[in-house]
Amino acid sequence: MIGDKLKQLDNVVIPVFLTHLKKAGSFLICFLYCFSYSLMAQTVSISGTVINATGERIEGVSVVLKGTSQATRTGFSGEFELQIRENQTDTLSFSHLGYASQEIVLKGRKLPLTVVLEAKQGTLEEIIVIGYGEQTKRNVTGAISKVEMADTENLPNMNIGEAIRGRVAGVQFTSSGAAGQNGSILIRGPRSLSASNEPLIVLDGVFFNGGLLDINPNDIQSMEILKDASAAAIYGSRAANGVILITSKKGSSEKPRIALNTYHGFSQPSYLIKLLTPERYIKKNLDARGILGLEADPSKIEDYLAVNEAENYRLGKTIDPWKEATQPGRMNSIDLSISARSARTNYYISGSFIKEQGILLNNQHERISFRTNLETSITSWLKTGVNATYIKRDGSGVLPDLGGLVGASPYGTWYREDGSVPQYAVEAENGSAHPLWNAALSSNRVFAHNIFANFFTIIEAPFLKGLSYRVNYSPNVRFLPNYSYRRQDPYLTSNLSFARKINTNSYDWVLENILTFKRQLNVNHYVDLTLMQGRNHRENETTSANSNQLVTDVLGWNNLGLGTTLTNTSGGDKTDGVSYMFRTNYNFKKRYLATFTVRRDGSSVFAENNKYATFPSGSLAWIISDETFLSDSRILDLLKIRLSYGAVGNQAIRPYQSISVLGTTRYVFSDGGASSLGFFPNNMGNSDLKWETTYAANLGLDFELLKGRVGGTVELYNMDTKDLLVTRSLPTMTGYASVWTNLGQINNKGIEITLNTINVRKQKFEWRTNFTFSANRNKIVHLYGSDTDGDGKEDDDLGNRWFIGQPITTYFDYVQDGIYQVDDEIPSGFVPGDVRLKDLNDNGIIDADDRTIIGHGGQPKYRWGISNDLVYGPVTLSVFVNAMQGWISNLDLLIPPGDNRQMNFLDYGWWTPENRSNVRPSTLYKNRFGHKFYLSRDFVRIQDVTLSYNVPNLILEKIRVSNMRVSLSGKNLYTFTDWVGQDPESGSVDRTSLYPMPRTITLGLNMSF
Amino acid sequence: MKRHRFKSLLAFGLVMSVVACSDDYLKEVPVGSLSADNVFSSVTGFEGALVSLHEHSRDELAGDDLYRYFDMNTGTDIATGAQQFEDYETYLTQFTPASERTWDWVYSSLLRTSNFIIANAERADLAHIWANEEQKNAIIAEAKFFRAYGHNILATLYGGVPIISEVYSAPKTDFIRSSRQQVYEFVADDLEFASAWLPLTVSAANEGRIVKAAADHLLAEVYISLGRYDDAVQAASNVINSGLYRLMSERFGVNKDKPGDVFADLFAEGNLNRSSGNLESIYVWQYEERTPGGQGTRGGNQLVRGWLPFIQQLRDPSGSSGMVLADTVHRGVGAIRPSTYFLYDLWRDNWDNDIRNSQYNIRRTYYYNNPASSYFGQVANFYVPSDTMQVIYPGLIKVEGKPFFGDVGSGRTAKDFIVYRLAETYLLRAEAYLRKGDLDNAALDINTVRMRANAKPINASDVDIDYILDERARELIAEEPRRRTLMRMGMLVERVKKYNMKEKTRNSITEKHNLYPIPQKAIDANFSATLEQNPGYN
Repeated sequence: MIGDKLKQLDNVVIPVFLTHLKKAGSFLICFLYCFSYSLMAQTVSISGTVINATGERIEGVSVVLKGTSQATRTGFSGEFELQIRENQTDTLSFSHLGYASQEIVLKGRKLPLTVVLEAKQGTLEEIIVIGYGEQTKRNVTGAISKVEMADTENLPNMNIGEAIRGRVAGVQFTSSGAAGQNGSILIRGPRSLSASNEPLIVLDGVFFNGGLLDINPNDIQSMEILKDASAAAIYGSRAANGVILITSKKGSSEKPRIALNTYHGFSQPSYLIKLLTPERYIKKNLDARGILGLEADPSKIEDYLAVNEAENYRLGKTIDPWKEATQPGRMNSIDLSISARSARTNYYISGSFIKEQGILLNNQHERISFRTNLETSITSWLKTGVNATYIKRDGSGVLPDLGGLVGASPYGTWYREDGSVPQYAVEAENGSAHPLWNAALSSNRVFAHNIFANFFTIIEAPFLKGLSYRVNYSPNVRFLPNYSYRRQDPYLTSNLSFARKINTNSYDWVLENILTFKRQLNVNHYVDLTLMQGRNHRENETTSANSNQLVTDVLGWNNLGLGTTLTNTSGGDKTDGVSYMFRTNYNFKKRYLATFTVRRDGSSVFAENNKYATFPSGSLAWIISDETFLSDSRILDLLKIRLSYGAVGNQAIRPYQSISVLGTTRYVFSDGGASSLGFFPNNMGNSDLKWETTYAANLGLDFELLKGRVGGTVELYNMDTKDLLVTRSLPTMTGYASVWTNLGQINNKGIEITLNTINVRKQKFEWRTNFTFSANRNKIVHLYGSDTDGDGKEDDDLGNRWFIGQPITTYFDYVQDGIYQVDDEIPSGFVPGDVRLKDLNDNGIIDADDRTIIGHGGQPKYRWGISNDLVYGPVTLSVFVNAMQGWISNLDLLIPPGDNRQMNFLDYGWWTPENRSNVRPSTLYKNRFGHKFYLSRDFVRIQDVTLSYNVPNLILEKIRVSNMRVSLSGKNLYTFTDWVGQDPESGSVDRTSLYPMPRTITLGLNMSF
Repeated sequence: MKRHRFKSLLAFGLVMSVVACSDDYLKEVPVGSLSADNVFSSVTGFEGALVSLHEHSRDELAGDDLYRYFDMNTGTDIATGAQQFEDYETYLTQFTPASERTWDWVYSSLLRTSNFIIANAERADLAHIWANEEQKNAIIAEAKFFRAYGHNILATLYGGVPIISEVYSAPKTDFIRSSRQQVYEFVADDLEFASAWLPLTVSAANEGRIVKAAADHLLAEVYISLGRYDDAVQAASNVINSGLYRLMSERFGVNKDKPGDVFADLFAEGNLNRSSGNLESIYVWQYEERTPGGQGTRGGNQLVRGWLPFIQQLRDPSGSSGMVLADTVHRGVGAIRPSTYFLYDLWRDNWDNDIRNSQYNIRRTYYYNNPASSYFGQVANFYVPSDTMQVIYPGLIKVEGKPFFGDVGSGRTAKDFIVYRLAETYLLRAEAYLRKGDLDNAALDINTVRMRANAKPINASDVDIDYILDERARELIAEEPRRRTLMRMGMLVERVKKYNMKEKTRNSITEKHNLYPIPQKAIDANFSATLEQNPGYN
């Protein structure tokens, strides 16, 4: 039937159209006829099934109506359906990873279609989401990495960042490991010294200001990571740190698809920092006393311990602090979605619930999320829809005090006989708070509500084919109640109860008008134009109400009026932005490609005369393999070379930094007087504050060999960041500790390699490898351009530890040269067991000039990840290894206590006259030079191992399930490293952030009907 | 059809233009913070800014743990540190926090805010807000007092330092040191202005504010530092002869009818301000237990924690816990232990008659108070292995007060703290007389102080600088910043070697320690000019 209609179109419309075009020769007339033609055209539904050579149905095949933005994907059983306006030249393009793309001309075809895709040959026709649009991979000219969420859907990833970790060259994700932590993503290393280095997240085309945890990974179809300036410049001022485009799922088949994804698992600490055991603790006490010249008789140890320690020692009662402060981790997740598309409407509705119990006592996180994506065609040229999500997260739970835990004596009294927790575990040793005291008395409620919606309308201009207009309005409301209460400790005579309510509300919106025009002008020329104009707004307000010494415990935080002293604080801020963008994509003969983008942004956070900046970029690509001289190659399937250059900006600073604002404080004159408010200058405003701009060049090479058996990408980049937004430390003589300023220039150079290989492909067995590698070199090129010492070289900023020619994170310190031993010649004032420092300038004394650059950190020199998938029939085993190498860091846990208090610390050995360590000083070492202790942060980690089983079709048909997969996976299984801090990847150096990284085992089930 | 097209084009254009914007949209006006412009539109705003100077000043004690204030006493002649200043070579270097605490505090609070007030008060465009010149100058005078107070502390500790007399609105990395003399002269200038314009007294509701006598008192000290002894005598006399102050010689205040003596009354909680009848106090840091702003950053006055013995750790002779914390058994941690010189030598000739050594002022006897101890109620001997350097030693009752928030474990109180007291003014004048060779008048002033304490008067021939330091210790321990007194006199090293109880302290102090090192952090940050380090610090 459709064939008839198409024929009819052929016979009637085209001749008329062409005749008029010839006759008038005028563009206006062309408009008119396009318009009249479109009114005549009717919508028809094209449906079909996509299978492979062996007849198996293929899911997720991208189906695009050529020359338009109309597209869909095949559903679970390989079926698709697409509403199109009838046209004489309708051609559908089918593409899928690992298969050759195919184009089907609709004219004369019978419906439903059956399309057979051949395995391999390139991924050029894969759909890639770019800013404000989509492209086939063929046409992409920038450095864009795509992450298919299907690759990680068997993993218990609560956070979308975990799906990226190590899988995309040049991208790093770190988190503390605690349940409910957002973590952070870094693309191509840090560029900014002190402004945010977090990439921009764009969810379904709209800036997303929530946390990474505010997105349910199961709602995500794919993520595209825009790494170079050309790709990212379309987001202008916000794109300096790269952009992550997240696309949520849509309905893909007429038959509603119900999908269930659930996993259940448990976790335990993968590593716990090593504290002194009871035996080592006793030895530490004796050793220290020996060095101090005090009596150190092991039989009199009870005299040396605190009174209650001695009693516990006598009774043989010891405590393993980690055991008391941890709990078995658990995670349970269930996620249900329903999706479908009908003739006019496409929907995806999901609900998910996840509950995680962290491995530290009281750490838990619960997330409930709902999403509705709805899109409907009102007429053939008018489409409207909404993508909306509501997420509620509950991160309540008062954690143990980890700083106190590190210091907790193994002979402390953790519990009284009635089970209650004393304020201090060692009597009179208040240096180490009882790690559980506050947790035992306190409760809290920490919720995050996030409503994020994008309302959009798309008009396909009726009068000009290829012209469409889209308007987005996207409000985001976040409400963050944070309430806490500590009840009275009945063992204390004073009332230390305390209640607080902090309410933070955020309201953001984005409004964008987007005009696109796409047209294959003739066989050789294709052009695609995008124009955007938008405004965005962010506002936050916080109210904090505090009350202490409450008369009763029964109402918790709910009636702060029951307290003795009540205090309130509140604050707020607003940020506004304006943006204009123009982009043109052009290709000639489908193999010479060019993109040009320019964006102009205005942001309120900058100084009066520097609100606006313009960010242009351009890129070129050449698909060499399509040239005639290579098209016959049997080895080479694809060779594409890309070159881009452009500017992106960074505005990631808090508002009001260009203005000097006042802080407030209070004082009470006279006895029993009233509270007086005081004002003082809080910051040095910078009235010249402006955008930070990164100029980036990127050379990319995409290749595929041997019928898709080997494929990959190599990217080389060079980025110069100018007018860096930094908080620059100031000499305190100025009155201020630091100021936000623009300065100097930072350079980042790097290489990123992604390699996908199919090593073995047999009848039932396949072995695939995905390898990513990246190296980044970062250095400071300019700072202030001053040469005050007249040595002909630009001044370094010693105060900030910024050195011309060195990376941002440079450690400038003394060089350690062993430990002074008893028999050594020891300078006066030093004692055996002290660290010996190198006298670099050989002047006989250790002075400030003996400090030098001793290493670099902040980011690794190399990152690599390798994942191997072994598939045998329905069984797949995936092993993913992640590594970062070539960095050091100070580890403050290595600093000896310097005294002999009744406290514990990291057990990394210590010097004694008998154990003549030449690396570790004595526990009594007093560090008069304030030097630090450094370790390598290199690590190789078995990040994910998954074994999954796809239930065969034969069984599925019997139970009327269209797909079912069971998987067993282990996360963070083992780390090879010399780092003795908590985790080399997150790299926390002190007592304050020692959350242990969990090792998680989960059992998962995915099924759909 | 044409009309339809026109309409759709029009609608299209409208949608695009609705969101077009003006530049006002990006204008930034803080919604949650004030700026100088809105605060300094009235005199009240200036009064508010002065309030923060008082908070900054109190922060020497209330803004830090057992260091910034306590460093001014540990490792001196009157007291030994448990950790602090036990070993000069490791505790005080240009790399250790000890060198930074006072530097950072003074520059980033007192000097910054005082200059901010002075610069704004002198703005021509704000001239209309002042009722008269007196009103404006009184504001500037109080700010200048604190600017002088801060510079004086720096000059005393570090010698010559960069003088700050303006507000910086852009980074500056080329500070240079003025000489110590220049800093003291700058201080004297500020104080002379302050003395001319500050009020003689303040209302009871404003107690704690700076009065003229505070400026004169500090002027006396600074004139001595400048070698202008006649001016110093005059400045001190301006306080002494003002008719507003006198040494208290009769019982007064909250404990008036309880056993005790007048010296104890001076420091009884509630008795420190003038309105309580204490006509000796000139400048008093204010604390309040429950009113916001009354506690400071660390939540209360930590004198008891620093000065009192770690009595909580005291064991009875059987080795069991002998003490529990109580209202009068504070949680000291023995960070500062008064020396034998102070606790015994200084009272030798007046042990029983000098009220400053009475049981109401120095607690020399402790009783086991742990009901679980079989020694409950008995006198606690200074029993070994209990550490008599930290766990049990005589305690200064003048630092005691009511436990903060009733929390006996807090080691804090909400008791006010006397910064300047008339007795010190007398001793400053005595010092000035001594230095100009007028021993008779020096002895008169010292004897005025001694007679109130019921101590035997001394002869003019007894007066020398050591005697003045002895008398200051007897009268002002835990009030004066002893280290600064010794450093301004250049007596620190000599007195520490003579009187400090710890061998390690006596052996590690060397001549260089008469000045603090300039923090290396400040030298590093000031990379456009060289901040010379003090001699001896590498």
